[in-house]
Amino acid sequence: MGKSTVIPFGPQHPVLPEPLHLDLVVQDETVIDCLPQIGFVHRGLEKLVETRDYNQFIYVAERICGICAMGHSLGYAETVESLMGVEVPKRAEYLRVIWHELSRIHSHLLWLGLAADAFGFESMFMHCWRLRERILDIFEKTTGGRVILSVVRVGGVNRDIEDSELAAICQVLDGIKSEYKEIMDTLLTDMSVKNRTVGVGHISLEQANDLSMVGPFGRASGLGYDVRTFGKGAYGELSEFQPITDTQGDCYARVKVRCEEVLQSIGIIEELSAKIPAGDISVKVKGNPEDGARASNVLEQPRGECYYYAEGNGTKFLERMRMRTPTSQNLAGMVSALKGCDLADVNMIILTIDPCISCTER
Amino acid sequence: MGFSSDFKTIQASDVHADAVKRKEDGWRYVQILAVNKEEGINLVYSYMLDGLLENLVISGLASDHHMDSITDVFLEAFVCENEIHDLFGIAFDGLKIDFLGNFYRLSTEVPMTIISPEKLAEREKQRKLAEKKAKAEAAKAAKAEAGEEAADISGAKPGEPLIDEEMEAKLAAMPPEKAAKVRAAMEAKAKKAKGADGEVG
Amino acid sequence: MGSFRLGAMTLRSMFKKPETLQYPKETKAPYPGQKGHVVNDVDGCILCGMCQRVCPCHCITVEKKERRWGIEPFMCIQCGSCVASCPTSCLSMDPAPTSISAEKFCRDLQVPEKEKQAS
Repeated sequence: MGKSTVIPFGPQHPVLPEPLHLDLVVQDETVIDCLPQIGFVHRGLEKLVETRDYNQFIYVAERICGICAMGHSLGYAETVESLMGVEVPKRAEYLRVIWHELSRIHSHLLWLGLAADAFGFESMFMHCWRLRERILDIFEKTTGGRVILSVVRVGGVNRDIEDSELAAICQVLDGIKSEYKEIMDTLLTDMSVKNRTVGVGHISLEQANDLSMVGPFGRASGLGYDVRTFGKGAYGELSEFQPITDTQGDCYARVKVRCEEVLQSIGIIEELSAKIPAGDISVKVKGNPEDGARASNVLEQPRGECYYYAEGNGTKFLERMRMRTPTSQNLAGMVSALKGCDLADVNMIILTIDPCISCTER
Repeated sequence: MGFSSDFKTIQASDVHADAVKRKEDGWRYVQILAVNKEEGINLVYSYMLDGLLENLVISGLASDHHMDSITDVFLEAFVCENEIHDLFGIAFDGLKIDFLGNFYRLSTEVPMTIISPEKLAEREKQRKLAEKKAKAEAAKAAKAEAGEEAADISGAKPGEPLIDEEMEAKLAAMPPEKAAKVRAAMEAKAKKAKGADGEVG
Repeated sequence: MGSFRLGAMTLRSMFKKPETLQYPKETKAPYPGQKGHVVNDVDGCILCGMCQRVCPCHCITVEKKERRWGIEPFMCIQCGSCVASCPTSCLSMDPAPTSISAEKFCRDLQVPEKEKQAS
């Protein structure tokens, strides 16, 4: 046993899309402890709720994170609606879920590209982002924005998708599906990928339960927790929904779970666009949230469960708005996954956990 | 499995014991948050079990209050606890991963406890509106006793120079000719007020 | 084995139309509903100030006295709430984005006087 050294990792690192800093305590080549540090992109967005009214804040909520933009606006809108007792039209709920699932596909494809890049699989990265571009194209066509969609509002959605357009989306998704399956097969059977991921950064089911992990990170360890199973909004109309889980709990399992979730999302969109009812897309929201009214809500984002809390004070401004994002919950899990791993595997483990630091700090 | 959420109150001293009990019963830790109120800081601890999201509210803590950390039970709470310490000033004793106030790099200390000027202005406005409403209602009640009529005019008189939402809503409810009249009256008033401001400045 | 499959996929794309655009030479035509910039049809504008009030980034200024309507295109986030709230629907979203500029500016529009409103 050699003496231990501290190696700083990040906040600037080729493998990290976002500023996460880790102090890795290393003995020889093995990480024996690690301390995650965030705080490089804290913008105080929660404080902004005092200067933007509840209709305007949705645009702030969207800007918390570029990848989860749709998720945050949806979660915020749902929370304020339950705070004010607003009933959203059925069609709006369906449209919201369709967009949300599209954004999950786009988030997972982005992550898959970055992961492939970290394996040193550059052509895979290009293929993933090529497919992602088609999703962004759908967003551009249907909402008018590529990443920041500004399509959800308190009480419904801003835009409708015509039925012909929905059919076109399904066609595009069909095209993506066959190509995506090829990519997925390649990634999951490739030797070099398996060499880097199988058995690395293992988290057992007990640990996952203990650390209340959320999202694909927890599901890869066999934790069947997915907010979508609660059947809120249009998720309740799905004929069946089973969260995708794996029992291995290593990096490979996490890659696999995310890969399969893309196909699941495509299935959800296809089913919902076949079932979507006609009708209004929004209701008018009148009045202000009551003084002392409180609402809490959870939503399954691409990275896992996100918690929302809203409190009214009788004015058009909210007293408090709070999001607890999936990565903040998974940081403790990340520390335990890193303990005992090889220094060369650190980037792989962090990447398969897919931390979103902008969300965590807000 | 459906989703439901509810709010309960809890004493600050019971938090740790409650966390231990919940851990045994298989609850998931969800989050901790703080709300800055006039009476003090509220903390909300959330746990979840089978789709039931329970929020435990502790109200009216002083900003230098010391809480027992629950990180020995739920390690993942260290993010929230450090965050609350940095943004609200509440200290947590026995934190497993303690950043000693360096979790976020902040230029101001405990920024979330500062009441922004916008919020103060809004509070003031709300208070005035409530007073006005009470007055108008009293006047209306008095008039209803006396006879009828003229209630609308008295409602329009204390109109603010800026057409705020309250007024807008009232205008929308009025017939068009009357709304136009009220609007013209308010504009004239606004002009007068502006002129007066100009003289002072 | 996997990389061979991917190799086949990559080879195939050699014979397809490229997915990318040769940017400065070709540009992508915006979709009809895309959010580019806000335009105001000044003939319909009544200077009510609704857009100014709902704007989350305070980039619209309405001065009724000077009959001026101004927007700062680089402050605007294209959320479309002004367009949705406009009572006379004189505001609309144009799909073409604001072209790049070396400095920020405010686009001021003079709203012509209307006969009916003049009294």
